[in-house]
Amino acid sequence: MCGIAGILFKDEGATRSAGEALISMLDGCQHRGPDSTGFALYGPTEPGHLRLRFIVGEDSDADTAIGRIKEALAKYEASIISEELIGTNYRLTVAYAGDIKPFAYAMEHAAKVVSIGSSLEIIKDVGSAHDVDDSYNVHEYKGSHGLGHVRLATESEVKPESAHPFWATGFGDIAIVHNGQITNYWKMRRRLEQRGFEFTTDNDSELIAVYLADKLSQGVELRAALETSIDDLDGTFSFLVSTKDEIGYAKDRLAVKPMIMYENDDLVAVASEEVSLNRLFPGQALNTYEPPPGTFNTWSRSI
Amino acid sequence: MVTIDLATLPVREANEQLRRIGAAGDDVELINPDARHHLGVGLTSPINVTVRGSAGYFCAGLSDSANFLVDRNVGWGVGDNMYQGSVVVKGNAGAIAGVAIRGGEVVIHGNMGSRSGQVMKAGTLLCAGNANFMAGYLMYGGRIIILGNSGEKVGEDMASGDIYVAGKVESLGSDATLIDLPRDEVDSIMEFLDRYEISFKGHFQKVVNAGKKLRYATSEQQMRSIPFFSFSGASDYWNAKVQEDIFIKAQIGRYRIRGYGGARELPHLSDLAFRKDLSSAGNDMGVLSRVAMKTEIGGINGANPLTLSMPVMVAPMSYGALSASTKRAIGMASTLSGIAENTGEGGMSDAQRDAAEQLIFQMLGGRLGWNIHDMQRANGLEIYISQGAKPGLGGQLMAKKVTPELAKIRGIPPGIDLRSPSRHPDILGADDLVIKVEELREATGYRLPVSVKLGAGRVRDDIKIAAKDGFDFVELDGMQGSTGAGSAEVLEYVGIPTLPAIIEAIEALEEIGARERIQIVLMGGLRDGVDAVKALCLGADAAAFGTSAIVAGGCIACMQCHVGQCVTGIATQDPEHEKRYKPGVESHNIHRFFESVRFQIAAITDGLGYTDVRQLSRDDLVAVTPEAAHITGLPYEPEYRDINPDLQMQAG
Repeated sequence: MCGIAGILFKDEGATRSAGEALISMLDGCQHRGPDSTGFALYGPTEPGHLRLRFIVGEDSDADTAIGRIKEALAKYEASIISEELIGTNYRLTVAYAGDIKPFAYAMEHAAKVVSIGSSLEIIKDVGSAHDVDDSYNVHEYKGSHGLGHVRLATESEVKPESAHPFWATGFGDIAIVHNGQITNYWKMRRRLEQRGFEFTTDNDSELIAVYLADKLSQGVELRAALETSIDDLDGTFSFLVSTKDEIGYAKDRLAVKPMIMYENDDLVAVASEEVSLNRLFPGQALNTYEPPPGTFNTWSRSI
Repeated sequence: MVTIDLATLPVREANEQLRRIGAAGDDVELINPDARHHLGVGLTSPINVTVRGSAGYFCAGLSDSANFLVDRNVGWGVGDNMYQGSVVVKGNAGAIAGVAIRGGEVVIHGNMGSRSGQVMKAGTLLCAGNANFMAGYLMYGGRIIILGNSGEKVGEDMASGDIYVAGKVESLGSDATLIDLPRDEVDSIMEFLDRYEISFKGHFQKVVNAGKKLRYATSEQQMRSIPFFSFSGASDYWNAKVQEDIFIKAQIGRYRIRGYGGARELPHLSDLAFRKDLSSAGNDMGVLSRVAMKTEIGGINGANPLTLSMPVMVAPMSYGALSASTKRAIGMASTLSGIAENTGEGGMSDAQRDAAEQLIFQMLGGRLGWNIHDMQRANGLEIYISQGAKPGLGGQLMAKKVTPELAKIRGIPPGIDLRSPSRHPDILGADDLVIKVEELREATGYRLPVSVKLGAGRVRDDIKIAAKDGFDFVELDGMQGSTGAGSAEVLEYVGIPTLPAIIEAIEALEEIGARERIQIVLMGGLRDGVDAVKALCLGADAAAFGTSAIVAGGCIACMQCHVGQCVTGIATQDPEHEKRYKPGVESHNIHRFFESVRFQIAAITDGLGYTDVRQLSRDDLVAVTPEAAHITGLPYEPEYRDINPDLQMQAG
């Protein structure tokens, strides 16, 4: 039960602040989800480097978790380039060039992973968009695109790890935000678990991330994965997905969850409500578009 | 023309100004709207309002007689429940445009979203562009004109009304059909288009209800009378009741519909006893003056609370299920006892409003009888999500009771077997719900408490949502609650008993530290003041009585409420039957029952050693069955079993 937002600046070069844009879009629809807020943001890449983010808690909890993380990193011969403790997060860049999936699961077993990728960083915590910005300096994130989410917890708990976006565990740089409810969650989860995927929460939205990761790891294009998701997932959903270079959406056939978008020469913005889009263009009447039920699309920044 | 700048003025204040300016008769221009929600909600003056940009959800919602012009787009639910007046949208509209309109004209120049015109009753909804998925879903009347394509499933489950499509009819909904278009209707459409200066050349196809699903193929038969109390029996396996059930199914060939509720052994409040020996409670009539019982419900977020002389209310029951005379008697009794009455689903009649000093107005998914004027004269507003007797389902009212008068107040065609929608058009999740709650508050100037009626299902999750979405109180209804008509299997086997419902509710709220953020009124098979005190001990702020109030007012519990031929004149809309009911007499009977409840609450509270009902707690109770101990976490102390009946005898 939530509000979602996504933005992609089409112009090359990471001069625009996706972080700042998402903060104001989410502030516009915070009424849809006052419990927690999250962002998926993309920074510059360095060959052979991975960005890792963990929720480690505070004080001695954090020390223990960081100890376990360092042990796991050493096992995979990943060397730390930089590290930082911010809010309840442990954020670091490591040099690692091996297969990401076993590495990611090893990290999951060491501590609560928020995101792993060459470019992706997911920042999420309880509180409002501005609260999360105050703790994690979201507005400083430049970059061409990203996703955001405000959450009202209904079935699972109000904890940072239950907040969105969800990282597609085991598959770098992919994040999703979702509004709705996946009713064939357990059936789909069991299927994916049999294929070796691991789940870290009972949140139905995590399923979408893992589902897409599974498709992509089989070499399926993102657009094709979105198309099959409309048939494979039961229930109500409007979700957004982001990769290193693109954002996309899929919407269920029942059109139960709202989604509205705006596109001009400079950007594509998608949100639950027009009020979020209008935050980017105060005082202007926008030519917005509501995607029909059962549709999907993607936008790439290279266009 | 007065200009209001929404970049500087919050919507709530802007709406208040709008109502003041409207009363003075001036036109208004709203600048910098930036797609904000609730613009113009609750406006009932015949003025012109221009929105210079896009509006968000529920623009012009719950309005009457005003004319809105929106320069660009609108979000979900434009013109929600509008009575008269107009909204012209120059751009696109989101989902459920024109939802539940009772009249007036909604004109969308662009495209409109899914389920537009859902549960509309009258008026015109025009879309010059394309409509999306399920336009006219569950519509009861009025007309929808679509100049572009219809979208899929147009007219899904419409009961009445007309849908005209000039573009492609992509697919017809269930129980919708295409018919020839009469010439005079074309003239009327063209006149409408001319009036709104929309040029159009083309032909229309007309979509109407096919009439296959409005009535059951077989009507409900009069059944052999077994009083409810013997009907309940000791066994829920092979007994007279099961036999009766099979007889009826053999006649009608489908599931059976009846009145009253689940009639089988379930863990209930009677499985609890008071820890203290109360055998002498009730001997002293003076307790009424010694125990503080006055209770305020609904004021915790700043609304004007309901002021109850004791922690008791009347449970929601509709005019429709019950006769007008019965609703009047219950209203009068509520006034005499200083408690609150509730309209239930069927709208608010003048007689009901006049009889009850404090009246909660209930809004259901079909928005039957729901309107801004009755909202403004209510003392509380309530969003019905479900009821304990049949959680997840809407109300049922069989054709016999859907008289022309009743159909008019509800805004539906007369003589249909009414199966009210189980879902709200604009509440598909907690996120939509919060916007809806805000709309109701906006429409009534934040004066009235807004509550939610929740049938016990997934109480743990639902009550958290209720607290987070800012409701002032929840009416929590367990499966021992009754109904005027429900399918027998649902009544017996779906739902969660009242006892675990209150336990789960309190635990869930404590889990998220929100017990102080919402009040709870517990109902569902409460029979007397003893049950009420137990409810309060378990954490409820008040208790509500439905079935008991009706029985006090002459109901013989024959369970034929659905048939419409009630011999006591209670559950009927037939004037010949209703004549038998004497509101003057019955109101006093119901009042006396409530006074016995009052005495019991006072006597037990006093007997437990307290001077205020708010001092009651869990620690005053024990469980006398293992099941109840397991459900409540109270100590299992079977030796208390004998104390309780004595107490009931004496206090009663």
